[in-house]
Amino acid sequence: MRGARIGRWVVAGLMTALALATIYPLLFTANAAMKTRHEYILDRFSPATSVRWENLATAWTSAGMARYLANSFIVVTGAVLLLLLFGSMAGFALSHVRFRGSRALFLGCLAALFVPFQVIMVPLVRTMADVGLVDTYPGLILAYVAQFLPFTIFLMTTYYSGVPADLVDAARIDGNSLYGVYRRIMLPIGAPALLSVGVLDALFCWNDVLIALLMMPSAEHRTLMVGVTVLRGQYSADIPTFASGVLIAAVPVLAVYLFFQRRIADAVTAGSTKG
Amino acid sequence: MPLGETPSLVRPAPAGRTNDADGTPRRARRPLGDRLAPFVLLLPAILIILVFRLWPLALGVNFSFTGDGDRDGTSVGFDNYVELFDDPVFRIALRNVGWLVLLLPVAVAIPGLLATFIFLRVPGHRFYRSVYFFPAVLSPVIVGSIFNLLLAFDGPLNRVLGAVGIAPVDWLGDSKVAIFTVVGVHVWATFGMALVVFLAGFATLDPALLDAARSDGASLPQVIRHVIVPGLSRTIQFVFVTTMIGMLTSMFGLIFVMTSGGPGGSTYLPEYYIWIQQGQLNRPALASAASTVLFLLMLVVGLAQVALLRRSGRED
Repeated sequence: MRGARIGRWVVAGLMTALALATIYPLLFTANAAMKTRHEYILDRFSPATSVRWENLATAWTSAGMARYLANSFIVVTGAVLLLLLFGSMAGFALSHVRFRGSRALFLGCLAALFVPFQVIMVPLVRTMADVGLVDTYPGLILAYVAQFLPFTIFLMTTYYSGVPADLVDAARIDGNSLYGVYRRIMLPIGAPALLSVGVLDALFCWNDVLIALLMMPSAEHRTLMVGVTVLRGQYSADIPTFASGVLIAAVPVLAVYLFFQRRIADAVTAGSTKG
Repeated sequence: MPLGETPSLVRPAPAGRTNDADGTPRRARRPLGDRLAPFVLLLPAILIILVFRLWPLALGVNFSFTGDGDRDGTSVGFDNYVELFDDPVFRIALRNVGWLVLLLPVAVAIPGLLATFIFLRVPGHRFYRSVYFFPAVLSPVIVGSIFNLLLAFDGPLNRVLGAVGIAPVDWLGDSKVAIFTVVGVHVWATFGMALVVFLAGFATLDPALLDAARSDGASLPQVIRHVIVPGLSRTIQFVFVTTMIGMLTSMFGLIFVMTSGGPGGSTYLPEYYIWIQQGQLNRPALASAASTVLFLLMLVVGLAQVALLRRSGRED
């Protein structure tokens, strides 16, 4: 018994060490961003003496982070709104409307879930180029919607399946069309799921680099993550400015994480308990 | 949160039928607009998935049997595949996939073990959960950039090692080490995801079983082997498959930022090879052949794992 208790504290100690190893890399980067080049070269570890806004300002303006951030914001907003709209429409139809081929459509959607982007990217980009969508905002938005729609539909269908059919029937008796049921019942009821899935979709799109690299080749259309990879080449000798850029790119995600931690975890696990 | 608690997948729902007081089939009297409604609701999803996910898959397989450059559009049989398997870089990519498969049990065991400790209420368990999960929301680009700083030859990690008398390691510049460095960083960044999935699985485990095992004096390894592993077999299966898919399809950002496939092509994975052939070397047909191989590889690995885990599940 005594041994077990000591064991618990040993495990707790190891897990704390691991927790530090999880946080430290970001703290190191934040600290490096607050140093001058000279200070960083002399000593990487010591805590920075003051907040160096000039590093952040350089990354923000001369490195073009402001532009990249705006691009990411436009694309992620557009993609997430469309994903939630199409995903909830399909989820409602697949879970509460009886029609021929419903099961087959759901399975087709699951199958699409297991087709990774790398497998289809060559013909996809070629098709996008043929219809003039490469290097446009709608093109990248569409690529993201296509990439994350199966996942969104899967989660929305799962969620809506838990909504009692009586609710839908009652609304139908009140004279609502299916569209009315979707708009007046399913959208409001689905709000918690839409928020969870929306946050997760937003993270996926925000964090992507491969699709953005392929779909947005020109410099003025770079998303934030592509911008960070460019920054690395530009400021390879000026680590504090580079670290500032990384910090700017990480802050929105950290904010989302702090606000929506539970929701993200819920959306991640929603698919796992069924399989 | 309701998302995790819904009982079943999809069940055929009786919407639109139950308000038949007289029991006659409703279908005949439903107006056309109503009968079309489900398809209107599904139309955007069907179109997008068909045109931008499933059609490109067929197109890509087809494309891999045509030529590049001068032979664009003409059928070349298996030429691309022959060239692919002759290419030493692609062979390295496949060898690295082999390493990933071998390292997979470790990548699953780490979050599994940590989740077990958190579930058994190690002091501070709430805190660990949210800290461990946090790198999982960071982009591979950000993670890769941060570790570029930490793992530089004259960087902090080697300084720390030097302080305790260990010779510096060229984490990203040594072709024997670099792929393991990148995989290690990937595991660092994603183990929180699997951890959360494990914890959701633990929530479905019957606590009475655990209590019984513990009061019978079972040791921790015995509890894991006889209670947790059989009880969580579906969760473990899910984590195995998703971790493997993650390793095969979401390391592009890390490779792109940390090594660009180098040194000497030693950190290539199929996804990076596809990107290089398609975007940089203008060999889309060869890239399509690599895509098809990656797809088959994922299919085989996925099915093999499911089969293997099913069998071991039955033996228990």
